[in-house]
Amino acid sequence: MFNNVSFARPKIAASLAAAALLLGAGACAKSEDSGATTGTGAAPVASQVVQSAAPGAATCTADQYGASKIDLKTASVGFSQSEKEANPFRIAETQSIKDEAAKLGITNLKTSNANSQFNKQIADVEQMIDSGVQLLVIAPLNSDGWDSVFAKASAKHIPIVTIDRKINASACKDYLTFIGSDFAEQGKRAADAMAKALGNKGEVAILLGAPGNNVTTLRTSGFKDEIAKVAPDIKVTFEQTGNFSREDGQKVAEQLLQSKPNINGIYGENDEMALGAITALKGAGKKPGDVKIVSIDGTKGAVQGIVDGWISAVIESNPRFGPLAFETATKFFGGTPVGQDIVIQDRAYDESNAKSDIGSAY
Amino acid sequence: MTMSVTLPAGPGRLAGVVQRQGALAVLVTVVVISLATFPGFRSADNAGTILVAAAPPMLIALGMTFVIITGGIDLSVGSLYVLGGVVAAWASQYGMLAALAAPLLLCGAIGVLNGVLIARTAMAPFIVTLAALLGARGLMRSISDQGSTTYLVRSDAFHELGTGSLFGVGYPVWLAAVLVGLGILTLNRTRFGHAVHAIGGSEDAAALMGLPVRRVKVWVYLLSGLLAGLAGAINAAKLGSGVTVLGSGMELDAIAAVVIGGTLLTGGSGSIAGTVAGVLLLGVIQNLINQVGNVNSNWQQVISGGFLAVVVVAQTYLVRARRTHSP
Repeated sequence: MFNNVSFARPKIAASLAAAALLLGAGACAKSEDSGATTGTGAAPVASQVVQSAAPGAATCTADQYGASKIDLKTASVGFSQSEKEANPFRIAETQSIKDEAAKLGITNLKTSNANSQFNKQIADVEQMIDSGVQLLVIAPLNSDGWDSVFAKASAKHIPIVTIDRKINASACKDYLTFIGSDFAEQGKRAADAMAKALGNKGEVAILLGAPGNNVTTLRTSGFKDEIAKVAPDIKVTFEQTGNFSREDGQKVAEQLLQSKPNINGIYGENDEMALGAITALKGAGKKPGDVKIVSIDGTKGAVQGIVDGWISAVIESNPRFGPLAFETATKFFGGTPVGQDIVIQDRAYDESNAKSDIGSAY
Repeated sequence: MTMSVTLPAGPGRLAGVVQRQGALAVLVTVVVISLATFPGFRSADNAGTILVAAAPPMLIALGMTFVIITGGIDLSVGSLYVLGGVVAAWASQYGMLAALAAPLLLCGAIGVLNGVLIARTAMAPFIVTLAALLGARGLMRSISDQGSTTYLVRSDAFHELGTGSLFGVGYPVWLAAVLVGLGILTLNRTRFGHAVHAIGGSEDAAALMGLPVRRVKVWVYLLSGLLAGLAGAINAAKLGSGVTVLGSGMELDAIAAVVIGGTLLTGGSGSIAGTVAGVLLLGVIQNLINQVGNVNSNWQQVISGGFLAVVVVAQTYLVRARRTHSP
């Protein structure tokens, strides 16, 4: 294109460049839309089930929050995703939100993705507030650092539903409610599975999740506390962050195998890191079952890992937040009190059900 | 933002102006088109969001402009940014002054270390500041317990510095504007600024002219470190805590903004006004992608990457056009 432009007329070149950019942006948006429509065809599988709340658990109503009652169908809704849709959990989570919005006939859904850059997530959400969204669904990258968002949202009384990770702030004041798993319980169940796989003795390594959020903290403390309780002969001798990513999980596991070649078990705080660890184990010449692996999430790859004999157990963390998030919002806007802490039930996979239940993995 | 540029006659000089102000020209074009296309872009709130979000990257890119004009590069700024934020949040328990002084001292010290190593040992700035990138991030991890401890901002005055506003414009924007103004004066009107240009043009010639090459180099890396630390502190004040999952890749954004702004990576020539346009352009692109809504995260990066490529290609041609037409 530029070859045809005479250099004596740089103004034209500049405006052509600008036009090309805008065309490019439009084309990309279009292809993304068509991608989303094909995705809605998939049947919703294994949707989230709420654990029965303890009697007297705190709830929140629209009056308490100061929100006006609106019809969700015609409302403008913003969804802010924290990490790139590059791993199964994030893909399933975003898709679930989009599918459910489409099902409910919510036409005005704005989505953004922070690509793991916290400042971008803050700017994304602030921009949504500026543009007049009436409900915010946020998958927070970090549990702290939301002060400027809260200030803006509360000035306009916009309810915020946080999913999968929690924000360290007051429910029903700074944000409406949190929907997610009991991460300490996940860690505890992973510890039980690890104790069983190792026969209550041995050395275990932990591949920690990304720092700075409650998921990593609780999956770590839940695991360690339970190990100390049920299997004091199991020692945690190595822990390092794999940032919830497969590459980092593999890298850390390679270092682990060099420094502690006789490690007995690896606890991956998510499936991606565990799958990275399997690659490292293969590279080190280990066979399936030589090192017992337990991880959390319930992705197809990991459940297949159980079938193949590499992984002993996978504790699920269900990412299909769409139905529950919008059901909660509908109730809230309709004047019904909603829980301030909505905890979902997670299943577990091991060799007894991996083959039969792999269909509910994501 | 919608500044009008009066262009002098003559194709060569026109190209020169557009090349120097190329980023501004693209920025104005994009902003005008967006104003007409996206109702959501038009609100004053949205402009405020873009400007406040652009303030910390602006400070970092300001320091980077000085470094790049000397022919150097500073890869440590992203790490200094996150380190500065964590240290500021921690120090805020001792009041606002401590929250500002602590990150400036620490990041300034690392900047001086960078500068001294580069100036005294003639090691490549790339390697020295890469070491600082790794070291500063490691330091941040060690004081935050592998990044899992987040210090909350304890000083209301410091918090206000990040969230408050004057005449409807956020304090971070005022701070960035004032420092950019001082930066422009320093670069164009002081002996230090002339030395920065001279060193980037030809270090040997600058030394022969009797300019204090080593001292100037130490100063630019000190400046870059200080500004990165300050940017981190301001961001922590805004967020209300010393978030540890920040800043990776930020040095590249800063370098990109500087280059888009017309500063040559080879050194010797550059403009802070261009850098301002470059930073704002990056912020506006991000905002626009969100205005379109529902753009897949992978496509977002493709679009911003494509945008950068086009701007850089256009500039290359414009530089060539200027050379062809200059007398």
